[in-house]
Amino acid sequence: MELAKNLQKTLNQKANPKTDLYVDLAESVTGIILVGFLWMHMLFVGTIYINNGVLFNSLSEGLDKYYLAQIGIPATVLVILIHIFMAGRRAPMRLRDLRIAWRLTKSLKHTDTWIWVGQVITALIIGIMASMHLWEIMTTWPIEATKSAHRVALDGIAFMGGFSIKYYLWFYVALLLAGEYHAGFGLYRIFVKWGWFERHKMGYVLKGITLIILFIGFGALYMFIRLAEMVPLGGALH
Amino acid sequence: MSRNITLSIFRYNPNIPGDTPRMQDYKLEEYSGMTLFVALNEIREKQDPTLMFDFVCRAAICGSCAMLINGRPGLACKTLTKNLPSRFTLMPLPVFKLIGDLSVDTGTWFRNLQVRTESWIHTNKKFDPNALEVRMSNETAEAIYEPERCIECGCCVATCITANIREDFIGATGINRVSRFLIDPRDERTDREYFEVVGNEDGAFGCVGLMACDDYCPMEVPLQKQLALVRRKMAAAGLKLDLKGMKIS
Ligand code: HEM
Ligand code: SF4
Ligand code: SF4
Ligand code: FES
Repeated sequence: MELAKNLQKTLNQKANPKTDLYVDLAESVTGIILVGFLWMHMLFVGTIYINNGVLFNSLSEGLDKYYLAQIGIPATVLVILIHIFMAGRRAPMRLRDLRIAWRLTKSLKHTDTWIWVGQVITALIIGIMASMHLWEIMTTWPIEATKSAHRVALDGIAFMGGFSIKYYLWFYVALLLAGEYHAGFGLYRIFVKWGWFERHKMGYVLKGITLIILFIGFGALYMFIRLAEMVPLGGALH
Repeated sequence: MSRNITLSIFRYNPNIPGDTPRMQDYKLEEYSGMTLFVALNEIREKQDPTLMFDFVCRAAICGSCAMLINGRPGLACKTLTKNLPSRFTLMPLPVFKLIGDLSVDTGTWFRNLQVRTESWIHTNKKFDPNALEVRMSNETAEAIYEPERCIECGCCVATCITANIREDFIGATGINRVSRFLIDPRDERTDREYFEVVGNEDGAFGCVGLMACDDYCPMEVPLQKQLALVRRKMAAAGLKLDLKGMKIS
C-alpha cells in the first residue's frame, strides 16, 4: 500500500489501523438494529387489528410504565444518528461525484445500482419524515388508539375549490413505503456484502418479508380509519 | 438476414491539440456471426484509419478490448453485434486513462494494483529446482483457479460507482486478487499482513455491495463470493476472532 500513500493517509493508518473495519461494522450493525426496530414497530402497530385497539393501548401503556419508551426512543435516535454518519459516508456527496454516479447509473441500466440510488433517495425522505413523525408522537404523548385513528382520518387543509387531502394518511403511506424499501434493500445489501446467502434467492425472501410488512402497515392505516368512524375522539374502547 | 447497423462511437484524441470529444456515426452491413472486433476492424480498414481501439487475442483472453457497449462494460471480441440494437454506442471505459477514442490504459492501473496488493507468493522457503512440486489438494487448487480466471480487462472497475468516485479503491478485481493469495497455502503472509493490505476503505471495507462488477464480469469470476470472503476474513482478523469452521472466517 505504501507507494500509493501520502503523509496524511499514512498518519491516518497509523492512528488506528482498524478504524475502517469498525466503521464498516458499525454501518452494518446499526442497519440490522434499525431493520429489527422497524419491523418490530410495524408488528406493534399491527396490533390495532386485534380487539379494536385494546391490545394496542395496553402495549403503549406497558412501554410507558416500564420506561421502555423513555429509554427506547432516545436509544433509537442515537442509533439512527450513528447510522446516518456511517452509511451516509458511502453516498456520493460532492457535486462531481453525484454527476459521475448519476451518469454511470443511467448508462449501466443495472438493477442493483438503481436500487442503491433509490436507497440513497429514500434515506433522505426517511431522514425528514421520520423526524416529523417522531416530533408529532412526542408532542401528543401518550400513544392511544383513538388518538392515532383520528390523526390518520383527519382531513388536511382545504385547497382552492374545497379540494382537500388526508394529510396524515398520505404522510404515513409515503413514510411506510420509503422505510420499507430502505430497510428491505438495506438488509439485502448487508447479506450481499458479507456473503451469507445466495444473492438472488435471498432477494426473493426479503421482498416477501417486505411485502408482508407493507401489507400490515397499509392494513393498520385502514383499521385506524375504521376505528375513527366507530369511536369519537376521546371515546372509550371496548 | 443481414441488416444495417449504426455504431455511434466516442471520438477524442487528447494528443491532438484542439480536438474535442464527440460521438461519430459509422454505418455497416452486418453479417452472421459478426463480433464487435470484426465490425471495428472493418470500419478502420474501409472507412476511417484514424479510429483507435485495442485488440490482441480476439478470444477473451488478453482483456484489452473492454469498452462500454451501449452503456455497459464488456469485451468487444466476445460481443456479437446481433445481440445489440441496430444503433448502439461505444464508449471507452471510465476510471482508466484515455489514450484516444476507445483505447484506454489499463496497464498502469493494474501495475499499481500489483504493487499495492503485493501480488506475489510471499515465502521464506528456498526454491529448489530439483525438488518435486509441493502437492496441493484438488479442492484448494480449484478454489484458487476461480479468482485466477480474471483477465484484467477492467470491466468491474469501470462499472463500480465506488471505483469511479474514489481513486484509491482497488476495485473488485483487486480484492478478488487478494482472495487468491489468501486461499493459497504457499503464501506465508499472516492475517495481520493481509489486513494491512486490504483491511481498509481502499480495499475490502470500501465496497458498497452494488454488484455491478459481479453481474458484468465477462469471465464470470464469482466476484460477490470472493469480495465477501475477503471481507469476512479481514473482519475476523481485525477482531482477532478465531472462528475456524464458523461462517465468519
Ligand atoms: C428506519 C430507519 C432506517 C433503517 C432501517 C436503515 C437501514 C439501512 C440499512 C440496512 C442499510 C445498508 C447498510 C449497509 O450497506 O451496510 C442502509 C444504508 C443506508 N442508509 Fe439507512 N436506514 C434507516 C434510516 C436511515 C436514515 C435516516 C438515513 C439518512 C438520512 C439513512 C442513510 C442510509 C444510506 C445513505 C445508506 C446507503 C449506504 C450504503 O449503501 O452503504 N438511513 N440503511
Ligand atoms: S474480475 Fe472480471 S471484470 Fe474484473 S478485471 Fe477480472 S475479468 Fe475483468
Ligand atoms: S460490489 Fe463493490 S466492487 Fe463491485 S461494483 Fe459494487 S462497490 Fe464496486
Ligand atoms: S481482444 Fe483479447 S479479450 Fe478481447
